[in-house]
Parts: sequence; structure tokens; C-alpha cells
Amino acid sequence: MERISPHQFMTLGAAVLMGTTFLPVASIVTGFGGRDGWMSVMSGFALGVPYGLMVISLMEQYPHKNLLRISEILFGKWIGKIIGVLYIFITVYFGGLLLGQAGNIYQASIMPLTPISVFYLGGMLLVFYIVRSGIEVFARFSEVVFPVIVIALVLNVTLAIPRIEQGELMPILSEGLKPLFFGTLKVMPFPMEYILFLAGLLTFLPIGKQELGQLKNGVWRAVFLVGILNTLVALIQILVFGPTESIRLVYGLLVLGKMVEVSRTVSGIESLFMGVWLGALVIKVSAFFFTAIWGLETVFSLKGLKWYLAVGIIFLGIAFKFKTGPSLIKEIELVDNYLILPFASIWILTLWGFARWKKGAGV
Amino acid sequence: MKCIRQRNMGLAVVLIACILFLNGCWGKREVEDLAPLIGIGFDLGQKPGTYLITEQFSIPAKGGETGADIQERTISVEASSGREAFEKISKIFYRTPFMGSLEVIVIGEDLAKAGFNEILDFGQRFSEFRRTMYLVLVKGKARDILNVKLRSEQLPAMAIMNMVERGSEVSSTPIVRLGHYFTILGSKSTAPILPMIETIQQGEGGVRYKVEGDETQEIQIQGAGVFRKDRFVDSLTDEETKGYMWLENQVKGRLINTVGIDEGKLNFAGQVMKSTTKYKVSDNDGTIGLEYQIRTSIAVDEVLGLKEQLSEQEWLNLMKATEKKFAKAIEKECQLALQKEKMLGLDFLGIGRHIEQKDSAYWKTIKDQWEQKIVDFPVSLDVQVTIHNSGMSSSSATTN
Repeated sequence: MERISPHQFMTLGAAVLMGTTFLPVASIVTGFGGRDGWMSVMSGFALGVPYGLMVISLMEQYPHKNLLRISEILFGKWIGKIIGVLYIFITVYFGGLLLGQAGNIYQASIMPLTPISVFYLGGMLLVFYIVRSGIEVFARFSEVVFPVIVIALVLNVTLAIPRIEQGELMPILSEGLKPLFFGTLKVMPFPMEYILFLAGLLTFLPIGKQELGQLKNGVWRAVFLVGILNTLVALIQILVFGPTESIRLVYGLLVLGKMVEVSRTVSGIESLFMGVWLGALVIKVSAFFFTAIWGLETVFSLKGLKWYLAVGIIFLGIAFKFKTGPSLIKEIELVDNYLILPFASIWILTLWGFARWKKGAGV
Repeated sequence: MKCIRQRNMGLAVVLIACILFLNGCWGKREVEDLAPLIGIGFDLGQKPGTYLITEQFSIPAKGGETGADIQERTISVEASSGREAFEKISKIFYRTPFMGSLEVIVIGEDLAKAGFNEILDFGQRFSEFRRTMYLVLVKGKARDILNVKLRSEQLPAMAIMNMVERGSEVSSTPIVRLGHYFTILGSKSTAPILPMIETIQQGEGGVRYKVEGDETQEIQIQGAGVFRKDRFVDSLTDEETKGYMWLENQVKGRLINTVGIDEGKLNFAGQVMKSTTKYKVSDNDGTIGLEYQIRTSIAVDEVLGLKEQLSEQEWLNLMKATEKKFAKAIEKECQLALQKEKMLGLDFLGIGRHIEQKDSAYWKTIKDQWEQKIVDFPVSLDVQVTIHNSGMSSSSATTN
């Protein structure tokens, strides 16, 4: 059985949690919170901490089992299977949409003449290779790529500082806290995507007492690191574009990358950033490919290469279905808000509550 | 054994993927086949709903002495959209127009009066363009400015770009990038402002230069245009624009003199070394107002009208008086800008945004009637100048 270390758990978790959230986050939070929108990023991501700890606590109680298996144990076979089917449906559909987003981002920004199928097929090949190589390789890949993503993000943010407009951040909290609450609600699906991945990852985690503590720390660290980075991304966009433009720009960070100029010598480096964002996309799509495979194995005992291929083909089918950017973005938003958030938040909370009750009652 | 075979298979798959990605992009364009677009001008077209779009390309000159030698190619077409214009130009050009190099967008006066946001949409939507492009308004037609034959033999678009970029050295006109323009539009209460470009004929405004041939001209950047949303309403004079620059905290290195400030015969000219403008919302017995605080440090470079040798103490006293005189000169420019704002009823100085930033609760009560309120909204100035140095001499060569 494959195992990943607590450090790999932290970086892998952070990489999956980060995914491509830095691309839409500013537009989402500013849409609700205006120039205060950046404040709702951290509070939205913070939801990942209690849910992450709940998942770890369930793992402690039911070692070597993923949450689908635990659901079958606690809720009974059929309810467990229904949850499993929902889990597979959501992860496959969302993974396919994210693959579609890879094509959309690259075609709309730097390679408009390249056929979109090249992005889909190329991306899928990379994802397929990672997934077939197993979770250890995926974890190592994240350990290498995630720091590069972080450095690129920090560079993009820092080099955009000369473009800051005077006074765009002020006034602070002029509309009160209510808009921030709605902004937080819109960010909450991001940690829930991470929780869905965690739900299947449990069987690959160490369960020693010391390691459990490290895993809990890993959840905290991943959530806060990604929350802070996304806050910075939202903040710099509000400072540079102002709230109205931050809402309007579909991928504001890409536009910000195009604005980077260092004394007229270094410019047009957005393609370098785009290369790094590809790493983030591959990690996120791979994570959902993994969850789909784990779901199929747990719920229907479907294993082997042909099921990997089947999932890959479905991913591609979904990506090809949503080739137009606006419909794809709308669909991702719908799945995030109306499937992933309610499903993950209710499922994990109920499961954890039920497990606690059973433990307390000694059933 | 099986594991190794699988690994090799995987490696083969990745290598095939690399072939897909590394053989060059679809639609790749060799740099020699590209015509870099440097400037684009928009005027009103003759037919309703069309634009006269002038595109200025810079093409490396064949047989040039250095690699930096360029040929200019400027084409104007009438089109209903930016894309249509590029289609028409592509039919004429043997090179592919490349828009990622665009530096300047020039708006003609007639189009500016009619509104130009629609034609800018292409510039902010198509991924090749950058939001760092400069936006300028011209007196007259954009086509004419881009077709001016400059004495320096520079491309007019390049000359405009250099003028705008060097603008911070004299801080007498605003620097407006496309991104900044959109951000200002988004603020709703602030009226956008664009620097103005014009040709200067031989002898015009006291400027004389040697005319070579019939066509050579000079262009200059001076003054600015004020807009209601995207419609040009009025222009600011040179002094009003300078006032705007002080109030907007955009002065980096102004050259300033005190000629005509008061009756005194003694005048000074100098260079601003450092300047900061802050503002605060004041409440005087329930009357809310805005107070600008300008703190400037100036190096005196010229003393005019000094007829006698001064002692050290007298020189010190003179420099103290000079500070007040410079402060008056700055105040005069600021007052002119404020008067223009009130006259137009357009908040190009962003006073509304300043109030919103400092007292958002009060702003909410007045924002709907802001354009009416601008006219009599109390604004005060507190200008303080310090003399950084008085140059290399403590008197004047003209003293007895």
C-alpha cells in the first residue's frame, strides 16, 4: 500500500487547495464585498480547518478507510453507496470542467490559434501519467511544483506593485460586514473541493499518534498558506484595477501578469507565469481524477487501466462539451456553489457527528 | 519487469505529449513576418457608426545602418470595429500586424466628443493588448497627428510615447494608461482626464524652429481634456493642468517660476525636488470641506531682477520670502484647476473619491447630488514650500 509522509500531505493538500483558485478569487469576492472583498478570502478558506480536522478525526477512528467506506459502515450499505455515487458524479464532472478551464485559459490569453483539443489532450496525458504513477509520485510532483507556484504568485504580486492606483483600498468597511459574509460564502466551495480530495486520500496517510498531530498541523498550514496567498492576490487586484474592474476581469491575475514591466527591459513575461499556472491546473485535475478513481474502487470495486481510461474519456467529453468560456465559468460556479459546497459540508459534518455519537454511545 | 515496462510506456506517452507541445505553437509567426503596431488613432468615420482607424507600424528598415533603423508605415481605414480595421489592413499589408507592441492610443477630438469607449473595448478584451498602453487626446484628428512628419524623423507614435513617459520629469501633464482610465471610469464620481497632444506650427505660441522641407512639424504635449464618462467636455489650459497635477499628488519634478505672481520685480525659477499632497476632510461648524496640504521642496535655479549684492543674512531672508512666493505660484495653479472643476461641474480632481475615502458615511449622503454639490463644495489649500538649495551662487551675476 502506498503511503505519503505528513510533509507530503501538507504540500499536496496545499497544492490541491490552491489549484487555480487564485484565478477567479478576486473577481468573486469583489463582486460581493467591493473594495473590502479581499477580507472575505481568508474567512472563506478557514472553513477548511474544521472540516479538515473532522476528516482526520474520522481517520483516527476508522484507520485505513476512506470516507466512502466509513459512510457505508456508519449509514449502512445503501446510503453509503448513494453518497458514493454522488461523490463520483461530482468529482468526475468537476474534474472535467477544470480540464476545460485549462483550455479556456490558454486559448483566451496566450495561444488563441492553438486548437483547444491540444490543451485538453496534452493536459489529460500529463494527468493520466501522474495518476497512473500513483499517489506517491503525485505527492512528489506537488512538492516540486507547489513551491514554484508560490514563488510565481509572490513575484506576480510584487512586480505589480508599481501599478497600484492611489487610494483604491479606501474606505475600509464602508458597507459594513454583510457583503463580506456573502463573499465568504462564495469562497467556501474552494476548501470543500480540498475536503473531497481528503476524503479519499485518508487510506494513504500514516496513522501513528505523532503523525496524526503532524497531519492536523498540515491542515492548518495548508489552509492558512493558501488563504494568505489568495488574499494577497485579491488585494493586489483591487489595488491595481479598483473594485469595478476587478469584478469585470475574468482572469484578473493574467491581466496583471501582462502589466509587469521592469524598467522597460523585462516585459511580456505573462507566458512564464502561464507555464506555472499549468502546473497548478494539472495538480487540481489530477486530484479530481484520483478522487473519481478512488470512488469507483470503493463503491463499485472497479479497478484497472480500462476504468482509468473511462474516467479520462469522460473528463475529455465534459471538457469538449463546455468549449465556450462564459458557459464553462458559469458551470464551474454552479457546481461549486450548488453541488460541492452543500454536499461536502453536510456529508462530512453528519458523518463526523454520527461517528462521535456512536463513539459516545458505545454503539 | 512489468513495472519497468509500464514506466517506459508512460515515458513514451510523455515524450509524445512533448512532441505535441514543443514543435512550436499553432499559428506561430516568425518575427520577420510581423509588423509591430506602435500607435493607433481613432477618429469618427464619415459613415454613421464607423471609425476612421489609423494604425502606425514600425518595420525594421532594409539596409539600415543599424538594426534599430525603422521604417514607418501608417495606414488609415474606415471600419465599424477594431477587428474590421485589422482585416482591411491585413489585406493591404504583406506582414502580419502584431498588436502586442502597441504603446499609444490616440483619440481624435471629434470622436472624443461623441464618446469612444466602444472602440476601446477591443483594446481591453483582445489578449494581445496590454493595459499599460498610453491614452492621449489630440487637438484635431488622430490621423493627422500620426501622419505628421517630425523633424526628428521619429515615428509620431514613438514620439508621443516618449513625451508621455518623460512627462514625469516636468510633471505638467497627467500620464494616463488604459488600465488607469478604466479604473477611473469604474469609480463613477470621478471624471476621466487625458493629456492633450497638438502640433505646433512654426512661430505658434512663441516657438520657432527651422522648417526643413514643406511638411516637417513639431508636436507637443500640453494641457488635458476632461471627460464626462467617455465624452470630451472641455480642455484644461496648461496652468489648470499643472494645478491638477499638484492636487493629484503627481508632481515629481516640476520646473516652476514666480513671474507674474505679485507686483515685485524680483522673481525666481526653480525645480521641484520633492512634493507630496495630502488631503483631509474638515468639519467647520457642521460644514464639511476638503483641505489639501501640499508640501514641496524646491531648488532655486534662477534669480531674476536682483540688482544688489546681499549679505549672508539678507540672502537667507530672501530665500524665506521666496518660499512664500513659490507657494503663491503653486496655489494659483491649484486655484485655477479648482475653478475649472466648479465651472464644469465635473469632478476630474477626484474630490468625491477623497471624501468617500475619508468620510464614507458623509459621502453616502451626498453622492447622488455630487455634480450639483461640486459647484459650492468648500475646498481649501495649505501650501508650504521649503527651499532645498539656492544653486551655486548666493547672489546674481547682474548685481553691481
